[in-house]
Amino acid sequence: MSEASNYRTEVTPVWCPGCGNFALLNALTKIVLPNLGIPRHQALIVSGIGCSSRIPGYVDTYGFNSLHGRAVVIAQGAKLARPELTVVAIGGDGDFFSIGAGHLPHAVRRNVNITCIMVNNFVYALTKGQTSPTTPYRQRGEGPFLSLQFYPPVDPVLDMVSYSVSTGASFIAQGISTDPSHLASLIQEAVKHKGFSFVNVLTPCLTFDPPWLFKTIKEKVSYLKEGEPVGLPDSSPEQPWLHDPSNITLALKLAQTPVLEKPHIGILFRGKEL
Amino acid sequence: MRNRLTIGIAGAGGDGVVVLGSLLQRLAASQGYFSQMPRYYGPQIRGGASGIKLSLDTTRASVPADVADIMICFNWDKYAELQQELPLGTDSVVFYDSAAPTATITLPEKSFQVAFSETSKEVTGAASAKNIVALGLLERVLALPESLSKVAAVEDEASALLERNRLALNAGKRLLSKFPFPDLKLSPSRDASPKVVLHGNSAIVQAAIRVGCRAFFGYPITPASEIMEEMQERLGQGNGVFLQAEDEIAAVGMALGASLTGAKSMTATTGPGLDLMTEMIGLASGAEIPVVIVDVQRCGPATGIPSKSEQSDINHAIYGGHGDAPRVVIAPYDLEGCYRLLIESFSISEYYQTPVILLSDQRLGQTTVATNSSMLETDCAMVERKRPSGEYREQYHRYEMTDDYISPMASAGDEGTVYQMTGLAHNEKGRPSFDFANNQRMHEKRWQKLAPLRDRDELVKVFGKEEARRGIVSFGSSAQFVLETVEYLGLQDEVKVCIPELIHPLPRRLGSFVDSLERLLVVEMSYSAQLHHYLRSQIDLPSGTEVYARAGGMAFSRKELSGPITKLAR
Repeated sequence: MSEASNYRTEVTPVWCPGCGNFALLNALTKIVLPNLGIPRHQALIVSGIGCSSRIPGYVDTYGFNSLHGRAVVIAQGAKLARPELTVVAIGGDGDFFSIGAGHLPHAVRRNVNITCIMVNNFVYALTKGQTSPTTPYRQRGEGPFLSLQFYPPVDPVLDMVSYSVSTGASFIAQGISTDPSHLASLIQEAVKHKGFSFVNVLTPCLTFDPPWLFKTIKEKVSYLKEGEPVGLPDSSPEQPWLHDPSNITLALKLAQTPVLEKPHIGILFRGKEL
Repeated sequence: MRNRLTIGIAGAGGDGVVVLGSLLQRLAASQGYFSQMPRYYGPQIRGGASGIKLSLDTTRASVPADVADIMICFNWDKYAELQQELPLGTDSVVFYDSAAPTATITLPEKSFQVAFSETSKEVTGAASAKNIVALGLLERVLALPESLSKVAAVEDEASALLERNRLALNAGKRLLSKFPFPDLKLSPSRDASPKVVLHGNSAIVQAAIRVGCRAFFGYPITPASEIMEEMQERLGQGNGVFLQAEDEIAAVGMALGASLTGAKSMTATTGPGLDLMTEMIGLASGAEIPVVIVDVQRCGPATGIPSKSEQSDINHAIYGGHGDAPRVVIAPYDLEGCYRLLIESFSISEYYQTPVILLSDQRLGQTTVATNSSMLETDCAMVERKRPSGEYREQYHRYEMTDDYISPMASAGDEGTVYQMTGLAHNEKGRPSFDFANNQRMHEKRWQKLAPLRDRDELVKVFGKEEARRGIVSFGSSAQFVLETVEYLGLQDEVKVCIPELIHPLPRRLGSFVDSLERLLVVEMSYSAQLHHYLRSQIDLPSGTEVYARAGGMAFSRKELSGPITKLAR
């Protein structure tokens, strides 16, 4: 048995074939944990409720599939009590931005050294297709959102990524599940970062998202590279805006770009470490 | 000479009522006197009514009398707000500050207008030391030994305050010097060893520290905030983990997270906070995670009366939440119990891997008591969490079926015992399992592991003669009033009293107590009689069972309970 496969349990995931959660699972078990050389007993993964929250059962570290929205609080308690643990909280957009949204700003300002991974599939998938706070807002009649074609989302998207930036989160990155090795590198940086880190993972829900949604995102993806021009309208070839993860003003602009217009992939912001 | 005296003090917030009561309590405690001092305050943050009742006693920390022997009043308007809790009797001796009472208050014969404020102004230049002037007067009236000099040697805040106000204190001693008050002199204390002074909330903190709790997460809420504040003092300087969370859900969630790593962890709240914690209690029960939750009960429902006691969280503590989620509920009835049973709560929680709810109440939590310091030194063995070793370690299964249904619990971070847990129905390995037979077995495991608790006879206190056929069941702070009233009525031979400290699972001893009775009275501070209904659901009660149950707010009094208890004995 190779070292890499040591991080997987024998449990078969419940996810649909082709689900973006497999990319996250592989990134964690085949790249991040082996690369960082974290012994299995030194890591704790806490999750909420939802498709992605099933992940602790599949990773052979300490794990806890807990309550809807509460992964981040349980993770903080564990980290504070046993600081030598690498603690990762995983949940969906419903977990972090809806039912547990009240916890996120406090985790940000407290800056406990944990990593939060939000698997954002833009929909409540486990409960079969209801709108989530990140479901793209479309006017009635403008186009169906699959199962929501008769009752499209009427509330604007809650953008807690830019909110987290504005409240001074220590580390914020956005990855995409269709590029697992890049996603793994982001998670690796987030785990290494000393302080609270947040990784938003753009993921398709093959069952409940309309196909155009992720197709659009994939087509418009713009990778952020330190020192290279960013894909913002204000950045021109003559006067390029170069990406600087320590620039919080730039990070806010990047975070505020609607994901269907220009999904910026990479490290949006990296602040001072603890 | 009296062995027991009750002093009432009332005024506006800022009059120094609580400071005066506390100083007197501590001065008396330094001379060996026992005491209890409940506090009465309203919803105002500042400037509302403020009152205390202080029972000084030579032999034990007794409940203050219904009617104060001595009343100090700084403000009659504010007194009127507290009149229900601080009634005056015809024999009460009243000392009141310059303003005369309103027409609605009838002064007893022995009432003296004393210029506390004026005297304070004369000797210190400000009226703010009027409470210290009153302290001087009380010291003389009670004929407390020259305690001040002795206490002043102790370097603490209270004696420093007294030192600064020595002029005011001495001026107070000279007031009304032509009146002798021989009836109000206190007998010398039986045992002059100094007593410790603390309230139930503080006793809980001291017990938590003693037992090794080093992780506390809380959220401010009356009347439990003192627990959080004192834990912050104790743990805040690198001695452990303290965090004021964003809400009670986070507080108990963090406590669970800390517990997963092996830390003894705890949170404290009152009714509304317990509501928010309910989902996590179910998780802790289902995933078998130790955690101690203190509920300092106050009047409900909703916001209710935050600063007043009630006993109406029994249902929630025992049954709160969806599904069949066993947990343990423990309720102290006195200060010593707050200390001892917090340690017991940790023992049970850690050993049985279950959430334990310690049901205190506002009366217990915020009443300062002077009592023997030995209370804090008693031998209290802590039973620890079972850890995997030997055969359990080799192939570790988190929820392995054992003879006693308790599976050794590894801590996150321990080498060789990695496991994953879930709030989903799970098998012995902790894997999600929707196998129905397994689901049945896991329920059995979680419920049956707690069964031995039903034989914990020592967690049921019984007072009185075994052969008595009339009995009372009461719990929490109300039980103190029951005991006092039985004694006051001289019915100790006819009426026995049973106070369960372990509420759930209900100890068998409750059943045998009730079986020995012809007539039973249940006394509780819950409008819907939650204790009575709970007892009925668990054991057969005598056909002649009576219930004395009412909503909270005002503490029980001897006068109030005399009716139902006399009727029981008749």
